[in-house]
Amino acid sequence: MVSKKALVAGMGCVCACGNTVEEAFQGALNGNARFELPKTRVDSTYTSKYPVFLVDPAVCEQKPSEQTFSQFFFIRAALEAFEQAGLSPDQLDSKRVGVIVGSSVHPSFHCFEIYKRWKKGPLTSTDIAGLKNYLATPLAQWVSNYFGFTGPFQTVVTACASGTDAIGLAKNWIETELCDVVLCGGTDELTESPYDGFIRLMVATEQRCRPFCKTRTGINIGEGAAALLLVSSQLAEKMCLPCQGYVLGYGNCCDGFHPTAPDPKGTGLQKALSFALQESGKTAADMAFVNAHGTASQANDSAESIAFKAVLPQVPVWGSKSVTGHTLGAAGAIEAVLTLQALNKRVLPPTIGFTTPDEQLQIVPVTRQTSISKQVAVSDSLAFGGCNAAIVLGGRDAA
Amino acid sequence: MLPKLFINGFSCLTGDATPEDFTSFVELRKLRRAEQISKNVLLCAFRALEQAQLQDPSRVNLGISLAMGAGALGSTLKFMESIVQDGDELSSPTAFASSVHNSTALFLSMFLGIHGPCVVTGQLDASFAGALLTAQQFLAKHMCEQVLVAITEDVNPLLAEVLQKDPHIFDPFVYQSHLPPTRLAGAFVVSAVPTAATQFVLDSISLATTTDMCTQSHPLLPIHSCAHSAQLLADCLQKKEPFSLREQFAGAIFETEGKPYVLA
Repeated sequence: MVSKKALVAGMGCVCACGNTVEEAFQGALNGNARFELPKTRVDSTYTSKYPVFLVDPAVCEQKPSEQTFSQFFFIRAALEAFEQAGLSPDQLDSKRVGVIVGSSVHPSFHCFEIYKRWKKGPLTSTDIAGLKNYLATPLAQWVSNYFGFTGPFQTVVTACASGTDAIGLAKNWIETELCDVVLCGGTDELTESPYDGFIRLMVATEQRCRPFCKTRTGINIGEGAAALLLVSSQLAEKMCLPCQGYVLGYGNCCDGFHPTAPDPKGTGLQKALSFALQESGKTAADMAFVNAHGTASQANDSAESIAFKAVLPQVPVWGSKSVTGHTLGAAGAIEAVLTLQALNKRVLPPTIGFTTPDEQLQIVPVTRQTSISKQVAVSDSLAFGGCNAAIVLGGRDAA
Repeated sequence: MLPKLFINGFSCLTGDATPEDFTSFVELRKLRRAEQISKNVLLCAFRALEQAQLQDPSRVNLGISLAMGAGALGSTLKFMESIVQDGDELSSPTAFASSVHNSTALFLSMFLGIHGPCVVTGQLDASFAGALLTAQQFLAKHMCEQVLVAITEDVNPLLAEVLQKDPHIFDPFVYQSHLPPTRLAGAFVVSAVPTAATQFVLDSISLATTTDMCTQSHPLLPIHSCAHSAQLLADCLQKKEPFSLREQFAGAIFETEGKPYVLA
């Protein structure tokens, strides 16, 4: 029995299909997204071949010079979440406020340009400042400091499952009364390392990705951030905060199968989905849809389809990476925001790019805008190393 | 509510594991492709699990909460180097795959047969504290019965070279240049209820931000080490007395209190 429910009081998002939650959802509905060759963003010989999903340059131009794109995107999303909640961070001074941010690129040693210059000669004062900034700013702690919070913080680096894990752990922080409020989500930016890395692993494609399609050819990298302001339901009631939805369940399970591929049987994912459903007190029959990880890689879509057939039979499937790209550590958070938006708008966007059913998968995702009435959905993420995570989300009428 | 953490086994390592260290645990040929930071933490895990009487971890519902301060630095730099040296069209996909934080978690999962929940925390010094909080959450939510809290930290050669030339360059971060950069690793097996192997109990764990940016000096690595906190905790446990540990990083404080556990 859950003593405290984790209520979503506000959400924020910036990604290739929109600069706000509302814009991103409209982008998901109509398939509009900024999908282009990243010639001005990364230094790679592949930039004339492999397109990516990029955040609006007009937004990027607003980035303060002392911040990384990952920091900037997350703060932008967090400010939108506070605005949606009708709160300013200083109104939470007397509350236990935690921060959990998932990211893949930022917490790694993301100093490639500095590394290149170091190989050629002495570092400049700008390079030293860059290194100092890296050392001084573990991501979640930096976010906590930015808003003046003093509670616990955690930077989750479970690769592409980081965003989902961050939201799931934040839910747990609320339910176990570690915090009254948790600012959570995920953020990642386009850099040379993952851009080249996914191409060299031969899982990236020169075309726009087509989740679950028989003709799918691989993934597209993306960038962006999403933030959710989770509040205990009691506090939300006391402070008269709006409700955008709920985080009802969280499951996580490691395959331990292969460095970059999931267990082909989707065993770990099935366990993660089952645990999340069990914790939420819901069944597959209650689900309006599942927002799939759906990277459009052969291995991912195959493992996911097996897990869905086993744990979520008959549940409609939506793949959203053909409008956001694979935003790595931000993916789970962006997809959670889009999922909540779909539940609240009562419409499921199409899986853009899907044309041909794959008889091997036996899954046909939703391909046109579809009305939904149920108020609960599930979103899952799969990561390198076989880390699988799933969260069950409820719309604002799910209580 | 949050459970206390019962510590059923622990092990820390300064420097690198050698092939001889593994003879009683695993066939050496199985480790030949492993990164050194993965081998270091695997050795600690074997020792901690042995103490916890979990010689076959696949038979229990075990989770992994891994802390890595700055990730798999060796592979990260190897991937960067392969781009610089050979160009991105010949860069190493293997190094890229190994550069992801999860690669060490996968290594532990595969070798130990652990298929429970798994989360990796990466926030420099504060990573170990974050990993303990995550273990506590896994147990509070009954996601598993016990958790392997693992820590491994690499040396950053770029930072080491910069700091050796000027130890004060990142002031207020402190570097003690008389001690050579060294890899560190550790492992703790924890549960929410005591087992027959329980040695200690942590009554409380907290991690919070502070406006105080002053740092303690971290003598073992250039600048940061998430494994340093683990070593401090292991040192407290070795004394077999009640303890109160408080470590302050740049802008954050980790605190825990504990005592030896005596079976009633």
